[in-house]
Amino acid sequence: MVLEATMICIDNSEWMRNGDYSPSRFQAQADAVNLICGAKTQSNPENTVGVLIMAGKGVRVLVTPTSDLGKILACMHGLEVGGEMNLAAGIQVAQLALKHRQNKKQQQRIIVFAGSPVKHEKKMLEMIGRKLKKNSVALDIVNFGEDDEEKTEKLESLLAAVNNNDTSHIVHVPAGPNALSDVLISTPIFTGDGEGGSGFAAAAAAAAAGGVSGYDFGVDPNLDPELALALRVSMEEERARQEAAAKKAAEDTSKQGGEQQAGSQEASSQDATMTERASASTSEAENKTTDLMDDENALLQQALAMSMDEPAVGHDVKDTDMSEASVDDPELALALQLSVADSTKDQASQSEVLADQSAVSDILASLPGVDLNDPSIKDLLASMQNKSEPQKKNDDKSSNEEKK
Amino acid sequence: MACLHDHSCEDHDCSSDWSLYKHIDLDKVSALNEATTGTVKSVFKAWEHRLNTSGEHLESNEGDPELLVFIPFTSDVKIKSISIVGGADGTSPSKMRAFINRDGIDFSDAQSMQAIQEWDLAENMQGVLEYQTRYSKFQSVGNITLHFPDNFGGDTTKIHYIGLKGEATQLKRDVVATIVYELMPNPSDHKTRAETGGGFSHVE
Repeated sequence: MVLEATMICIDNSEWMRNGDYSPSRFQAQADAVNLICGAKTQSNPENTVGVLIMAGKGVRVLVTPTSDLGKILACMHGLEVGGEMNLAAGIQVAQLALKHRQNKKQQQRIIVFAGSPVKHEKKMLEMIGRKLKKNSVALDIVNFGEDDEEKTEKLESLLAAVNNNDTSHIVHVPAGPNALSDVLISTPIFTGDGEGGSGFAAAAAAAAAGGVSGYDFGVDPNLDPELALALRVSMEEERARQEAAAKKAAEDTSKQGGEQQAGSQEASSQDATMTERASASTSEAENKTTDLMDDENALLQQALAMSMDEPAVGHDVKDTDMSEASVDDPELALALQLSVADSTKDQASQSEVLADQSAVSDILASLPGVDLNDPSIKDLLASMQNKSEPQKKNDDKSSNEEKK
Repeated sequence: MACLHDHSCEDHDCSSDWSLYKHIDLDKVSALNEATTGTVKSVFKAWEHRLNTSGEHLESNEGDPELLVFIPFTSDVKIKSISIVGGADGTSPSKMRAFINRDGIDFSDAQSMQAIQEWDLAENMQGVLEYQTRYSKFQSVGNITLHFPDNFGGDTTKIHYIGLKGEATQLKRDVVATIVYELMPNPSDHKTRAETGGGFSHVE
């Protein structure tokens, strides 16, 4: 949110006709300029941006620093390519334009797009750099287009002369598949001096990087709150369902003294749930298990009751929740269907559902992140098969009473 | 125009005279051509600490002895005299030029503009030299810009202390911020309370 007046120096020399940046060097530059103007004005509404061209008939200021984005975009339209770039004069005119800015409180910054070869001497550039530093003007250099050793060296020495406490930057953009603006978005030119950048830059970066952002689910809550919310809700339901399944398994196997198994169940369910909790210790999960046993049982009972489609059970089944879940999660719907199809009998056949290995393995297979070949899962399936029915019925009935 | 501090300081309290530093708006103090941003704030301190060279001080960039210091005040002040303690080995400034109530002066402005007053400085290592101002010109100072164009031959210019002696008035020199200019008055813009069916009249 730094209050800044920026002058952008555009290179519209003959070298910009080249097509090694798509669609042409000049177009790529124009896109980058539009993006920068947007970012600057958005990060602080009092920021001003001006534009000048360095080639053509001579250095010419197109727009003096203004916060009106429309004016800037309009002047970029209809620019002609030709002539030779005069870097030194361009920077000096930019400095003069900044000197006469209306709001003296603004910091001064010049952004230079250097596409064509630099014909000035290194010493002269260094002198210009020192003068900029003396008047506390920051300079950002975008080195693209023509690529030769001398040019890079000269621009680096210019940057070294100007740089005061890392306020100035240089970016080298080689020709390639990435657009010039995309490359620039992630640089300090856009993101400011270590402040973390504006929302505009961050959002644009998220879009450009294709979802590799710091947000959960790769969707920016600012850009699409409904989608982000839907994803989050569906994730919670998935997690609850998997925890319910895991806890039930844990509950079943714990009677056999299978603490270890329960632990591994927790571990596999943790892995299956794609959350940050994957790094949490299993002991924590077990503690949670004992603490939340009642809640989980309740959820579990509801889940099973729904799959049974038995109104006589008398639980307070939350129809809306389950129906939403089934709508959102086709896998859950499939699981429910399988369960219902398999057991049209009485309540006690809850255990049959679990004992039906094929159904269970289908359900487990549909759970993301669960590998049927995982030994702990194999153990679970085996144990569920071998479990005696009465024991299970007792478990179920006791947990029923708990719930009631 | 220098005058010597020709009495010993035990008799009266010099530090109370040099207390204008309390009226400086330190957040808005800025300098051009300083080597490290922000060090300019360290030169405004109490009289007793003027010779304290161990802490931070203002230094110009390598090879460039020019310095420009912008000092805004929290209220209008009258400045009677100025004292400067520079660095050793030729790093003391040799000349000082002052500009009053001008915002955003940079080096090219400073070099071309006529200063309100100029002084030739001497190396003031003991901090006893003070430079008097033409008091009539320094009556209501909202901000002052000090330009040090040269030093005594050193590579950089160092300043450890800038002292200001004078009085502070309680007035503030305010620029009228928002004015709406009317080319032609429009009665609808100036509805009186009676027209809008207003409420009780009251005396404030």
